[in-house]
Amino acid sequence: MSQLLGKAALLRCPAGTSLQDKGRLAGAQFGIPTAGAMDQKSFRWANHILHNSSNAVALEMAQPGLRIQFDQACQIALAGAQVLVSLNQTQLSNSTLISIAAGDLLEIGAFLTGSRLYLCIQGGFQVERYLGSGSDFESITSPSKRSTQEVLSYIPIPQSNSLGAKPKWETSWFESPEIEAYRGTDWALLSSEQQEFIHSSIFHVSKFSNRMGIQLEELVPNQLEDLPTNPVFPGTVQLTPGGKIIVLMRDAGVTGGYPRILHLTEDGQSKLAQKRVGDSIRFQLIDTITG
Amino acid sequence: MIPHYQILSPTFGELVWDHHPTDELLGFQLAYLTYIQSNFLDALAEARQGFTRISLVWKNPKNQQEFLAQLKDLKLPPMELSNAIWQVPVCYDPEYGQDLNSVAESKNLSLSELIHLHSEPLYRIHFFGFLPGFFYLNGLHPLLHTPRKSVPLLAVPRGSVAIGGSQTGIYPMQSPGGWHIIGRSPLTFFDSKQPIPVWAKPGEQIEFVPISAAQFQNWNEPYPKLLRK
Repeated sequence: MSQLLGKAALLRCPAGTSLQDKGRLAGAQFGIPTAGAMDQKSFRWANHILHNSSNAVALEMAQPGLRIQFDQACQIALAGAQVLVSLNQTQLSNSTLISIAAGDLLEIGAFLTGSRLYLCIQGGFQVERYLGSGSDFESITSPSKRSTQEVLSYIPIPQSNSLGAKPKWETSWFESPEIEAYRGTDWALLSSEQQEFIHSSIFHVSKFSNRMGIQLEELVPNQLEDLPTNPVFPGTVQLTPGGKIIVLMRDAGVTGGYPRILHLTEDGQSKLAQKRVGDSIRFQLIDTITG
Repeated sequence: MIPHYQILSPTFGELVWDHHPTDELLGFQLAYLTYIQSNFLDALAEARQGFTRISLVWKNPKNQQEFLAQLKDLKLPPMELSNAIWQVPVCYDPEYGQDLNSVAESKNLSLSELIHLHSEPLYRIHFFGFLPGFFYLNGLHPLLHTPRKSVPLLAVPRGSVAIGGSQTGIYPMQSPGGWHIIGRSPLTFFDSKQPIPVWAKPGEQIEFVPISAAQFQNWNEPYPKLLRK
């Protein structure tokens, strides 16, 4: 089988590049983080336009500079950040859905908007799955992130088998500051002043942000002590004793001891994943309809 | 110890116990978790357990409402906890436990008193969290409770046995960490090449068995001995 697979060589692979899918839901019982694409919305959309399964493995990038060469024909789709793309050194005007011929060299240039890019490929990148997921994670997959000179496998397709459509990826959905969130399990422990502060303030994304969590610059005056360690998820918003807000993202551990004050919707998580250091956000609280 | 259910989103909620973590509470948690996993398997996307909560993610809003309707009449007895005891060798030597001396000094304990206080009790495994294969254990002697470090260490070595707050635990892999390192175990605590990557289950117990530095260096058995009381 393996000699039938196409090879995609990472001639240059910027730091922070990894293979991701929907994530590893069955791992929490062993303490294994969910992992998976930070911006599930873009990931899902790019797989959708390729007619892929919703869990096909994609390449996630957080920085420009990727150079990737494909040895056989394939269809790829890009979604997430808006970036400059060139194919065989010619800049593309619409880089959403690209037909690749054998030997083609694709290069990712500057990120114009957003901060995470997904390169999906028809059939998905072919990797071993662990607990149902091919998402890279330290001590779970080998390697645990991608680097220059590595080669990824994919299922080649006949050159003529183009999808025809010309969809165009739009990024306006992640440009507004509003991030939708539910009130978290420990929201009621906050004073009404703290609740109002969190509700009405503009926060800024801190440089202390990665796939584990996104910290916000502004502190919330806080006297709450640590609580017994309990479950957390991607999207759980924690408040530390020092008043720091940490939004847990895909690689966060499965439990935590800080008060869990909010929980971002999946759209809210995808939107936040596209924010850059210094971008402003505001939590838009939504009510849970109780039965 | 009947929990109540807190709805957090249309497809997400928590079973809440307003009690301190104990064996008894764990027995109730495992009973509810087992019941839910066997009766709502198709409706449930994910379940996660902590010391006083079980978080449930449902596939759709209707699933959560159906669960809630059933929960009203549900009064489960606690599950009997396992009698399995895993013997985990630990070398309590300053060479492997860089904070052993400072923790002992802060408590006015001799090293042998500290080692005795740490290796004497049986610790109950409540759940896994923080890192793959990291046990959350209950049972640390109150004398050994130690506030976490203000500045975490960037690389706590794999196998380190440490104390943080009212907890003790073992780092299954190298990781940043803010707990005080008092020793190291030569065992393997997480192996993703195994279909089940950990050897113990919530509800079972851990016993720390002191070993010498020479024993540590020559240890070649990756898994612990299993006793039943």
